[in-house]
Amino acid sequence: MKVPAAFRSAKGIVGALVVLTVLAVAILAPLLIPADWATRMDMRARLAPPSWAHPLGTDQLGRDLLFRVLLGAQTSIFIAVAAVMMSIVIGLPLGLISGYVGRTTDNVLMRLVDTLLSFPALLLALTISAVLGPNLQNTIIAIGIAFTPFLARIIRGEALRVAQMPYVEAARTAGNSDWRLITLHVLPNIMPAVIVQATISLAFAILAEAGLSFLGLGTQPPDASWGLMIQASRDYLDRAPWTALVPGAAVAMTVLGLNMFGDALRDALDPRARGEA
Amino acid sequence: MSYLLNRLFSMVLTLFLISAITFAVTNILPGDVAMMIMGTQSNPEALAGLRESLGLNDPLLVQYGRWIGGMLTGDWGTSLVFKEPIAPLLLQKMTASGLLVLFSMTIALTCAIPLGVWAAVHANRWQDTAASSTAMLGVSLPDFFWGIMLILLFARGLGWLPSSGFVDPADDFGGAVRHALLPSLALGLGLMAHLTRMTRATMTGILNQEFIRVARAKGLNESTVVWRYGLANAVGPVMTVAGLQIGYLFGSIIVIESLFNYTGMGWLTYQALLNRDIPLIQASVFVIAAVVMLSNLIVDLLYAVVDPRIRLS
Repeated sequence: MKVPAAFRSAKGIVGALVVLTVLAVAILAPLLIPADWATRMDMRARLAPPSWAHPLGTDQLGRDLLFRVLLGAQTSIFIAVAAVMMSIVIGLPLGLISGYVGRTTDNVLMRLVDTLLSFPALLLALTISAVLGPNLQNTIIAIGIAFTPFLARIIRGEALRVAQMPYVEAARTAGNSDWRLITLHVLPNIMPAVIVQATISLAFAILAEAGLSFLGLGTQPPDASWGLMIQASRDYLDRAPWTALVPGAAVAMTVLGLNMFGDALRDALDPRARGEA
Repeated sequence: MSYLLNRLFSMVLTLFLISAITFAVTNILPGDVAMMIMGTQSNPEALAGLRESLGLNDPLLVQYGRWIGGMLTGDWGTSLVFKEPIAPLLLQKMTASGLLVLFSMTIALTCAIPLGVWAAVHANRWQDTAASSTAMLGVSLPDFFWGIMLILLFARGLGWLPSSGFVDPADDFGGAVRHALLPSLALGLGLMAHLTRMTRATMTGILNQEFIRVARAKGLNESTVVWRYGLANAVGPVMTVAGLQIGYLFGSIIVIESLFNYTGMGWLTYQALLNRDIPLIQASVFVIAAVVMLSNLIVDLLYAVVDPRIRLS
């Protein structure tokens, strides 16, 4: 593993710092800020522009946007992390088996994965969320399922490549069981690709959550997420553009950090793909 | 030829799987079409009667067979929300969205390719940093955020373009273009950022290759080297990525059309999902997935046209 090499580029360091800051906010904000600070309504200061009392302004109910965006981090990050973990838990065994076993199993599984890839991820997530009923838990399930085919496809490709390596061949000749080969030789060697893809997926998951919530098919009030905040701002754009800009900037900063770190990670782990989109 | 037949066969199989997945997903819905039509407070006997007449008591496989049979013969059912036959409705909305897809692809490609090439030619200098950072920012913002910014700037601020609505190009072509411009731009900006990154990466790889060095050594001027020798080799990979982005575009289109109240396919799908209009959800999800799959197939075939070295097999 050459993960530390990712910190050698400026892009990697900045990306990692941003991601760590957002993670710290997501974890610490709920512990340090009383929950009611984000829901306390100041009716005399509705849609107030940024000021000393409200550094980032207030929303249509006079709620402080700084506290809302800090506390909203928890929901957005939690959904993204849980959804990506879910897609790894399903996609990893699928991709591993497909790539390692090959033949009919591979054909059948990949045909299914390719079919799922024909559904735009956001459409799939929206449909699943609408079908299951929109709430926090189902948003995770919807995004998790929608991202699984991408992950399975990439892991399958990697597993296929690694399974043909001479060292795996040698270990097989030495009489190791398939289980041992997969867990001891194939799995550790595809982990770099999984980590890179997971980082990039996290960025997409944050965007997907924002999109779902924006359409009212994701997080529901009283849970506060960034996408939900942008949705709420729609009717007040003329008078109070900061209601959209504040959560929008939070999404942009997080996704930017994840993308930069993901790029640097990929450059470090796979020099062949340097700088590719 | 056998390649084409093979692809066609695999396409039919994929379409079949798409239909099965669509049908399966929409059938996990709690409640059914009969409940949707009559409401939750309806008389249980009437509900049972309607269920029977709609064939909802049949085994799922039979229901699926009936649905797919209808799809194949052009009877796509009736929308519960719009109270209209689905097939003509979808066709009409598809044209509206086609305009958006066309515009946004054009915007994205005409900006992304020169920008990506420019960044690659100046790799690791300030021009590259500027272009790459802008592109990175572009892929990091949600499309609807671009949409909101565009509305604030061009519709509310400058008043140049309408912020919502759709006009049929057959009625008023100029009006149709004016209404499609902002949503297309919102869709195109994110796409442009993706394609700029891809073009830059591909071109950087190509410009470091031997044959480029040879071309330069021969004394060819730099623009011939970059555009004729370099870009010619980058078109294939860039086109493949652009093709793959069509799927992404059809996802974003749901959000963007809803934001701009642009009554196309995405807007229709959103209405169907919000109102749990099951027949309409089934048909529109199926059609979108089929369109995405078909466009990927077309891109694959085009690849062989732009790059004769690729043998389809």
